[in-house]
Amino acid sequence: MKSLKKFIKSDTAFAWILLAPATLALILIRVLPLIEGVGISFTNRRLLNDRPTRVVLFENYIRVFTQDKEFWNAFLFTLIYTVFVVALSYAIGLMIALLMNMKIKFRGLFRVLLLIPWIIPAVVAAASWKWALNDQSGVVNQILKSLHIVSSSIPFMANPFWAKLVAIFFGAWKNYPYMALSLLAGLQTVPEDTKEAARIDGANTFQLFFRVTLPQIRPVTVVCTTLMFIWTFNNFDNIYLLTGGGPDGASQVISVLSYYSAFARMNMGYASAISTVMLVFMLIVAVFYIKMVMKEDKE
Amino acid sequence: MKNDFKIKKVVYGILPYAAMIFALGVILLPVVSMVMSSFKSPETFMSSTSFFPEKFSLDYYRNVLGKTHFLKYLINSVVIGVLVSLFSTFLSILGGYALSRFKKRVKGLKFYTIFLLALQMFPVVQLIIPLYLTFQKIGITNTRLSVFIAYSTFTLPLNIWMMQSYFDGIPYELEESGRIDGCSRLQCLYKLIVPVAGPGISSVSIFAFNYCWNEYLLGSLLLKTDGLRTLPIGLQNFMQEQTTDWGSLMSASSLAILPVLIFLIVMQKQIISGMMAGSVKG
Repeated sequence: MKSLKKFIKSDTAFAWILLAPATLALILIRVLPLIEGVGISFTNRRLLNDRPTRVVLFENYIRVFTQDKEFWNAFLFTLIYTVFVVALSYAIGLMIALLMNMKIKFRGLFRVLLLIPWIIPAVVAAASWKWALNDQSGVVNQILKSLHIVSSSIPFMANPFWAKLVAIFFGAWKNYPYMALSLLAGLQTVPEDTKEAARIDGANTFQLFFRVTLPQIRPVTVVCTTLMFIWTFNNFDNIYLLTGGGPDGASQVISVLSYYSAFARMNMGYASAISTVMLVFMLIVAVFYIKMVMKEDKE
Repeated sequence: MKNDFKIKKVVYGILPYAAMIFALGVILLPVVSMVMSSFKSPETFMSSTSFFPEKFSLDYYRNVLGKTHFLKYLINSVVIGVLVSLFSTFLSILGGYALSRFKKRVKGLKFYTIFLLALQMFPVVQLIIPLYLTFQKIGITNTRLSVFIAYSTFTLPLNIWMMQSYFDGIPYELEESGRIDGCSRLQCLYKLIVPVAGPGISSVSIFAFNYCWNEYLLGSLLLKTDGLRTLPIGLQNFMQEQTTDWGSLMSASSLAILPVLIFLIVMQKQIISGMMAGSVKG
């Protein structure tokens, strides 16, 4: 009994009691369903449980990998989309961060305005983009026509090529503020004397940027691009709300495809298989990321 | 020569501002266009090609506020947002404190932080199927309770992580002096630490609230009755049902971002520091 009392007063008990409610919630709502989801992927469960579900083992997976052209198209575009969104949002973020790093006035105001794409709901963002890009009165087409870049409106959302491009730009637009803020914080850790020393040694602006600044922000760059890669790969809202995967699956990504399989085609077993493939892919990326974070911790 | 130098200086001085204004113009174009269009009058709306409203009108706003369920969606979003935020913040303070103060001394806590990190990387899409089926079994689909449970849990990993980061920055001396004065560990937490943790706590609550305000996927599956819907789902549904009423959609959308913008202006520091937690070391 004495050792029990001692245990209750110990640090271990205290810490775990504090964590208990959150842990319970996380296990019930995040961990168990995860495992259950993988389990469903081995069955032929349908949305309306109108006929008995039976275990089909790897049938769903075999179909996903060998017979589903739609899946491979979506997977390919998901990768392309993710890579381009990360690269583009990084480029934009870096340029904005460099601008903000200069001693300009009204920084507070600029910062608030620049955060808007990140902070508004995806529904509103998508609606505003669809409106701006519409081929009858949309502002983008109006500007293109008045600058004589095109003679007639471009049907952005109805054209497969343009839809893909718009999806990528939308993703980058929505996400660049995160990159910009992280990179700005990183830029501000570049010691002024290192830059001064380089300038005295005769470095011009380009050399200063590529040889001094960029290497200094490497850690932030690696962390942010990996996080952004993960978030973009997993993202459902942006594509679903902007293009719905269309036109005709041109901008389809696997998260949206899984959703359609489950709730439109009612095939939950198959949908679970698709999302489990996503999960495994992300697991590999997560292991890489966690290893990297632990390495940074040690340094 | 001297004049050349002066001109160069002026141009270089203006350049950042010009670049920033240009960038903002391009970036905010869709949002500004949306707001401008929301003030156009219904008669000329579809054919209007000018950026500014030809005839300023509040008709679409009147329609949205009077004839649609917009206010209901707004209230739902606010209620769910506040409740989830309170619950999630409370649990993250407890959890974040435990992780921050005890991860070196208690076994398993280091693994717990990795567990939280890993949770943030999994696709939500993977969870919606089993969650939906489970909620269906318990019979809470199409209730606000299901959304409350889901949203609270989904905001936990990031919030606990942020609170942990924040508490890491509070020196242990505070608790040391408290313990010398005879406070129990729990008293140290709520009497000493929480009062000084204002910025961290507000970051976390804002994040949780913003998550609820913006969330679409889970809500669209779990809230089927129109009267229960939150703003994003209500708006999207409106867009799908009233495919020709872009004017009302523009006003509804502009109204939807108003609270977010006010929030942003008032709470910028907390929002930004919350966004930064965990990405930049030192």
